[in-house]
Amino acid sequence: MKKQYDITIIGGGAAGLSAAIEAYDPKINILVIERDKLFGGILNQCIHNGFGLHVFKEELTGPEYAHKLIDQFLEKKIDYVLDTTVLDIKKKDDFVITATNIEQGPMRIISKTVILTSGSYERSRGQISIPGDRPKGVMTAGSAQRYLNIDGYLVGQNVFILGSGDIGLIMARRMTLEGANVLGVAELMPHSNGLTRNVVQCLHDFNIPLYLSHTIKDIKGTESLESVTIQEVDENYKFIEGTEKTFLVDTLLLSVGLIPDVKLFESLKLNIDSITKSAYVNQKLEASIPGLFVCGNALHVHDLVDDVTIESRKAGISARSYALRKTHVESLSKAITFDQNIRYIVPQTIDFNQLDTELDLAFRTSKKIQRATFIVEQSNQIIKKVRATYIVPAEMQKIKLQPKDFVSNEAIHVYIEEA
Amino acid sequence: MYDYTIIGAGIIGSLIARELSKYDLKVLVLEKENDVANVQTRANSAIVHSGHDPKHGTLKAQLSVLGNSLYEDLEKELNISILRTGAFVCAHGPKEEKVLDKLYENAQLNQVKDVHFLNRKEAVEQEPNLNDDITKVLSLPTTKVCFPWEVAFFALENAIINGVELKTNQEVMEILSLDNHYAIKANSGSIYQSKNVINAAGVYTDDIKNLLNDDADFTITPRKGEYFVLDKSAKGTISHVLYPNPSEKGKGVLITPQVHGNILLGPTSEWTSDKNSISTSQAGLNFVRENAQYLAKNIPFDLIIRSFAGVRSTSTYGDFYIKESLKHKGFYHVAGIDSPGITAAPAIAQYLVKEIIKLDLPIKKSFNPILKKKIVFKDLTAEEKAKKHQENPLYGRIICKCEHITEQEIVDAIHGPLGSDTIKGIKKRARAGSGLCQGGYCESLVLKIIARETNKPLNQVNYDQVGTPILGKETKESL
Repeated sequence: MKKQYDITIIGGGAAGLSAAIEAYDPKINILVIERDKLFGGILNQCIHNGFGLHVFKEELTGPEYAHKLIDQFLEKKIDYVLDTTVLDIKKKDDFVITATNIEQGPMRIISKTVILTSGSYERSRGQISIPGDRPKGVMTAGSAQRYLNIDGYLVGQNVFILGSGDIGLIMARRMTLEGANVLGVAELMPHSNGLTRNVVQCLHDFNIPLYLSHTIKDIKGTESLESVTIQEVDENYKFIEGTEKTFLVDTLLLSVGLIPDVKLFESLKLNIDSITKSAYVNQKLEASIPGLFVCGNALHVHDLVDDVTIESRKAGISARSYALRKTHVESLSKAITFDQNIRYIVPQTIDFNQLDTELDLAFRTSKKIQRATFIVEQSNQIIKKVRATYIVPAEMQKIKLQPKDFVSNEAIHVYIEEA
Repeated sequence: MYDYTIIGAGIIGSLIARELSKYDLKVLVLEKENDVANVQTRANSAIVHSGHDPKHGTLKAQLSVLGNSLYEDLEKELNISILRTGAFVCAHGPKEEKVLDKLYENAQLNQVKDVHFLNRKEAVEQEPNLNDDITKVLSLPTTKVCFPWEVAFFALENAIINGVELKTNQEVMEILSLDNHYAIKANSGSIYQSKNVINAAGVYTDDIKNLLNDDADFTITPRKGEYFVLDKSAKGTISHVLYPNPSEKGKGVLITPQVHGNILLGPTSEWTSDKNSISTSQAGLNFVRENAQYLAKNIPFDLIIRSFAGVRSTSTYGDFYIKESLKHKGFYHVAGIDSPGITAAPAIAQYLVKEIIKLDLPIKKSFNPILKKKIVFKDLTAEEKAKKHQENPLYGRIICKCEHITEQEIVDAIHGPLGSDTIKGIKKRARAGSGLCQGGYCESLVLKIIARETNKPLNQVNYDQVGTPILGKETKESL
């Protein structure tokens, strides 16, 4: 390991490895820092299949997907450190990264660019303020998944799940297969937050009820969890009297959302998107500090790891061009605006001075829409129209734009026309 | 035969234990929980009040003002964390300002130092996010914030180093008053003989009293308080303890900066019939949210990482009840220790030993008042870090990435005179799991370190009490 790098990638999961492989160039030095003892990140605990159809053209499990990336990465002979945690990133002329591990203790690494791929963390009970007792037996679905698939232990026998995020759905099936009784899944929204295929394959196929428009009303248990009570909510999320249902369970799993883990932004003054809770980036996935790239779930939460790889490859390419670039490129960034049917769009801005390749707008709608047209406008002209059907907030939408689609250097506006 | 047995290892019992450890006595502390400081001490506002509020002439007034100054000694001797915030009692308009005048008079009588008024402009200069309708504040510069778990831990750890014994998981079931001594029977089956007994059982002090058939005139009428915790990235939003004016609207929801950078909102104050109930409620939490905004604007509610509730041991006596039983010589009650109990705790210990027990013994030569400072790796300088890592490489590995807690700090928390082998115990001692992800990332790592250090299978590591393992059945036979 050297003291100075052209590109330092923080995170050795799907995003970090994909970015590293793509950023590789014999002319530059790259370092990947991973805090776990293995590469692969969360993929290692996702032992179900369904990964890789787009990127590797075959259906893989999480660990298989990770291994394909790891093999490609190791071939490139890129520098890396495992079991090493980054504590802080500061920007001076270059980036100053403080990291630590057992062998070296606290250390500093200087880097021209940084790609942050620190993934996301699971929203906890405290963040959604579920009232009631605070016994043992309430945990995030991802924690239970780790305990089951990596360590080989079931966390309980009788399980209820709050939130229909994909991890919760996958865990409903996984715990059932290991002999636990999953009594149901409650979802606050009137629609599932997971992929449709997961609702079918993980709940319907195992006769696990999904209670839409329901949430936890109370948790009981002095030392260990004894019961949870759910209740139906109306369109304003207010409880409807007389709809309580109580389940005697020893485990409550929470699958109530992922939040980009951007703790390392602390020492950097960055523009933050209040919806994605991560950096404002341009189409090069570059944050408001030049040379800082963010991708994968650290940027916004993706449905599929394939999308993470595709996005992170772009970040890798962008970081490589930045590192190789001799002259400074003045930014001409314009924020993308959108209507109320859209929750967020990534990237948040387009830098018209760097419009050299096609770009993807990744976005989520704020509601379920049967049929619609996504429309992109610039300088009062429609520059792109995409038809789509069965649009749900749980599934990320994409619009591809080519440099030739743009008619000016003015900001673009995206909106949805319902059919 | 013990000279003194203290029932309860909360902040009160722990500081009494430390006070008694100064003398050549055989002292035992019995705790019904699996860990010390697990009930009232673990769920409160953590404020070391100035002593402005308790009515002049009460024991509460006397001991809180003294207690506040004794925290300075605890800081030097036990290396506890103190955050010197100062406090503002806030008034909205002339009616509430009159109440401030009364508080000011009371604070003067109680000899609270440096109390003064600030007009709105002066107050806002120091606290920019003060609610727009606040017209005047009473400033209490001596108010500070401690970390009550730590105060209890460190006091008891120091007491143990000085010879005190602690036994956890010992719920007292029976107390027999025998000739010249007491026999205390615990749920474990053990019987402890002791010449004197100190009842410091917090919300259960009246149950202990009843076991003895004593007629001391207090009963505990527990009051529950619910709180929100904001992540430490909220640090700086509010830098003083903010009290509402004691009025119908306020009811005592405070905003309190904490020693680790978090901010607490709360508490509510509801009578409860169930001493064991530490559940939160939608109504209670909504009340906190609403009333906190009465004190400050721009509260970052999106940084809420946890809510909790605690029970205060308010008694029917109206003041701290610190007395020897009339019927049972050598049996002492330290009861009704509600707010400002944390503040008064060190003074309560001294008052009990000097004024009530009237212990007249020389301080033993071997007594060491100093507790070596705990290593919090992230607070060290770069040179100290390098040195510590050389000595012990586990300081190089981060376990809790939210709070930057290293593996060696977890190991230290497991071992040591007052070590713990539970997830919650480690959270309290080393703060692993106290951050934004609430243990989502580090819990499984901490669990493995505990199992390794205590030679236990993974599924025998408890979350908190005995019989609360995080992991259940092993799904695959290991090879």
